[in-house]
Amino acid sequence: MANFLVWVVWFFAAFACLASALAVVSFSNPFYSALALIGNLASLAVLYLLLSGEFVAAGQVLVYGGAVMVMFLFVIAYLGDRTDESPWSGGPSWQIVGAILAGGAILAEVCVVVGLKAGGFLSKPQHVGRSFGSPEALGRAFLTDHLLAFEVTSIVLLVAAVGGVVLGSHTRRESDARA
Amino acid sequence: MTREAWWITIPKAFVVINVVMVFFAFTTWLERKLLGRMQLRFGPNRAGPKGLLVPIADLLKLIRKEAFAPMAAKEPLYIIAPVVSMFTALAAFSVIPWGNGWTVWGHHIEGQVVNVPISLILIFALGSVGIYGFIIGGWASDSKFSMLGSMRTCAQLVSYEVSLALSVLGVVLMAQSINLVEVVQKQQTTLWFFIPQFVGLAVFLIGGTAETSRPPFDLPEADTELVAGYHTEYSGMRWGLFQAAEYINMITLSGLCVTLFFDGYHFPWVPWLDQFGPIWFVLKLFALVSTFIWLRATQPRLRYDQLMRFGWKVLLPVATVNALATAFLVVLVK
Repeated sequence: MANFLVWVVWFFAAFACLASALAVVSFSNPFYSALALIGNLASLAVLYLLLSGEFVAAGQVLVYGGAVMVMFLFVIAYLGDRTDESPWSGGPSWQIVGAILAGGAILAEVCVVVGLKAGGFLSKPQHVGRSFGSPEALGRAFLTDHLLAFEVTSIVLLVAAVGGVVLGSHTRRESDARA
Repeated sequence: MTREAWWITIPKAFVVINVVMVFFAFTTWLERKLLGRMQLRFGPNRAGPKGLLVPIADLLKLIRKEAFAPMAAKEPLYIIAPVVSMFTALAAFSVIPWGNGWTVWGHHIEGQVVNVPISLILIFALGSVGIYGFIIGGWASDSKFSMLGSMRTCAQLVSYEVSLALSVLGVVLMAQSINLVEVVQKQQTTLWFFIPQFVGLAVFLIGGTAETSRPPFDLPEADTELVAGYHTEYSGMRWGLFQAAEYINMITLSGLCVTLFFDGYHFPWVPWLDQFGPIWFVLKLFALVSTFIWLRATQPRLRYDQLMRFGWKVLLPVATVNALATAFLVVLVK
């Protein structure tokens, strides 16, 4: 019963994930694309939930589904409706090359996973304890096994913050000089 | 501890949603009455005794109004926006504990709708999704006032969300948990957190006022500048849903504040009174909601640049220093 429920939820989440991903690239109005991206991130969060990653799922909704996508929508709404002059309706030829490359990469990944599955390399069940995916376990992993990655990420964020300040102060000085 | 059966949880969720709705309805009455008294007026006093039936009259009026949309509105998004706001507002209340849990005829009933280990983050996640209702509503109306209003709402909520989340960090560090039930239980054995975390409480209350767009932070619907903000083009019950979402957000935020800083449903010093948890919870909630109304009656609205400067240059540093100091002290005491 429980397994069947998991399967049903997985089916709908996976389907929503694919459908919203397709919608992101096929809408001509960027506002709708951004909304579809929110749907994509939300259905990914459901998939994380199925993998017992509660904290990761909530973080996904809070940070990506919430804060980051609000910024996307904010900018898109601020710039107004530019559907007719949008570079993505039509698009230069290098985008086609990029699309083919990305499609090929996904196809290769699918082939590898199917091959691994057929070869029996994936049928190694891991024990998932009660504390798996809990904030405590995640925090411990960040501060022990993955400390370097954790700290390097914080430096990347710091660089981004400093970059934002530099860009902002630069434009302000220019407008002051003009005035 | 035994887990609660699903056939208890579902009716309980139904009851809690309706209690919150009733609480919301009478918060609007309380707000008008208190505002009236503070401004030397009577406030509503015609519909029912002491004007108590005013919320019902409002509801009837709003439902019977014609639900029209502007010609240029993006119809599906225009309709779904207030629903998103209302849904997230109501859903956030589900993890707030309002009772100690009871055992009736051998069945265990928990004192909240659901108890998830990440309840605090869940509330913030739902809050950040709730912003979409405002921004989509403003964009889909296809009107300049709505658009400007939703831009303001968005900028204000994103700015103050950071301070709000950081102000809570001190409590999380002291309780060593992001589960609201555990936060309440920890306060029963130690102090109520508003004493050691008074800076956090102050930041939380100010950030919360801004987050729920209550005066003096009601810039999103500054009527002298923006007509009504993101819901300019809404009328009838769709507007009513937006309004309800704002009030319910305020109630949820007050509930969160009670839980984090004033020990939720717990009655001080007398342990056996804890079984009447919902009563103490509602009393504390009532006090906080009245404070929000009091703020509205006495404080003039901020200017927009003041709002942004205050949020980023005062509130955020204070919240950060508070979190750092708490972390330092928690490690030191250990």
